[in-house]
Amino acid sequence: MSAALVNTWAVTRLEWRRLLVRPLAWVVAALTLAWLAWNFTLMLGSFLTGQIQRAALPDGPGFTDLVAIPLLGQLAQLAFLVVPLLTMSVLAGERRNGTLPLLLATGVPAAQIVLGKYLAVLGWLLLWLALILAMPLTLSPATHFDWGKLAAASLGLALMLAALAALGVACSAFASHPAIAAAAALIIALGLWSVNLGAQMAGVNGGAINWLAMSTHEQPLLRGLVSTTDLTWFALVITLTLTLATRRLSADREGG
Amino acid sequence: MTSNNPVITEVVLQLDQLSRHRAGRLVVQDLSLELRRGQVLGLLGVNGAGKSTTLSMIAGALRPDSGGIRLNGEDFLEQPELARRQIGWLPERAPLWPELTVHEHLDAHGRLRGLNGVALRQARTAIIERLELQSLSRRLAGVLSQGQRQRLGLACALLHRPRLLVLDEPANALDPVQVAALRTLIREQASAGTAVILSTHLLTEVTAVCDRVAILHEGTLRHDGPVFGDDHAALERRFFEIAMMNPQDPPAHAA
Repeated sequence: MSAALVNTWAVTRLEWRRLLVRPLAWVVAALTLAWLAWNFTLMLGSFLTGQIQRAALPDGPGFTDLVAIPLLGQLAQLAFLVVPLLTMSVLAGERRNGTLPLLLATGVPAAQIVLGKYLAVLGWLLLWLALILAMPLTLSPATHFDWGKLAAASLGLALMLAALAALGVACSAFASHPAIAAAAALIIALGLWSVNLGAQMAGVNGGAINWLAMSTHEQPLLRGLVSTTDLTWFALVITLTLTLATRRLSADREGG
Repeated sequence: MTSNNPVITEVVLQLDQLSRHRAGRLVVQDLSLELRRGQVLGLLGVNGAGKSTTLSMIAGALRPDSGGIRLNGEDFLEQPELARRQIGWLPERAPLWPELTVHEHLDAHGRLRGLNGVALRQARTAIIERLELQSLSRRLAGVLSQGQRQRLGLACALLHRPRLLVLDEPANALDPVQVAALRTLIREQASAGTAVILSTHLLTEVTAVCDRVAILHEGTLRHDGPVFGDDHAALERRFFEIAMMNPQDPPAHAA
């Protein structure tokens, strides 16, 4: 294994361990899973109630449209709050704790520290997504799934979580206090989601402002439409934010 | 104190005209030093003299504005990854991750320093035994006393058997028994060929454990020479002379 991989993996393991032993990650996971499980039960109940009426419609919405994807939509809303809570301490906490210089002094390059920490948070978030996906999937033997649509929506959610995590890590790299990092990540993420709100209200559906908004790229994926433009947007946001975080961390070594 | 080590001339650390600003102030200015294998250098100075900044630069946590650092003959600023296996650093107040146990700290530091598998387990067992951390190994760092934290920080710095050990106020918060054990440990490391640089406020620490003493004042090296034997009073006189010095006075590098 190359030195870069070994270093990144060492940082990922350290951050993952810290995430697992902190009560915050468990509390967030437990509360959000309970909330989504309750909503899943309600949506399932409503789906079962309306099943007879929908049977008359040849191309009516099914379990995927009425239960699975709305559940993922609720997860997307929760992610705006959950991701900043998880990422706030990754670098701001190290800085506050005095352990950041210790990490920098191990000779591990800033990019590998940032990537290692990002991968640990991303691992937690993907596990969270998998647990929530498991709710509708437990009913797969008993109902008909639109697998393509569900896969696209899951991909969309995974990309959204990845982008929010990268943004959170970048905010944590710049902030001196974890709470500031969380607030900044929440505000920037909400801004990024709804930056085109004014344009949409004015009836403008194209242009740079719409391209910039996260909602423009997330909603097609949640509807089952995968396009390279949307995938590229997420890749760009992740790359840009992680690059900014790396530059900030390098500046810590330079600037003290 | 005079070293009992055989004379070994291999230069481990070379600082060449090192300078560094912090918060708009010149904290370290044109600092040049050499440290050989098995040598213990005491770095003295009043608060704000530039000791911790110097040690942070040597440890690789901070880049100098100008000047050079060579580690075993190699350019450390060009290859910061040299720190990984060759330097062990205990910063002031031993920063730790409060949510991790002693055991987990050592594992994390070992992995970050490139140790894995059997090598990591062996190194961890050895350092836990050497620093008598057995009874604390499952305890969270957040509940350790200051003295125990210091010992854990020292264990993390020594785990990968570095060739250069950088200690910033290592005797802080240690009781007299632990201070005596720390002195033995430092001498042991020096006998094994490790170069040690030790920053301290305690002049007794320097006379007890160091071969050489360097005194910094206002970021400038004012004295670099052998420790005055066991003459603690001579070292104290020299230290106070320098501490009262006007920053504009010319530096006197050699003793």
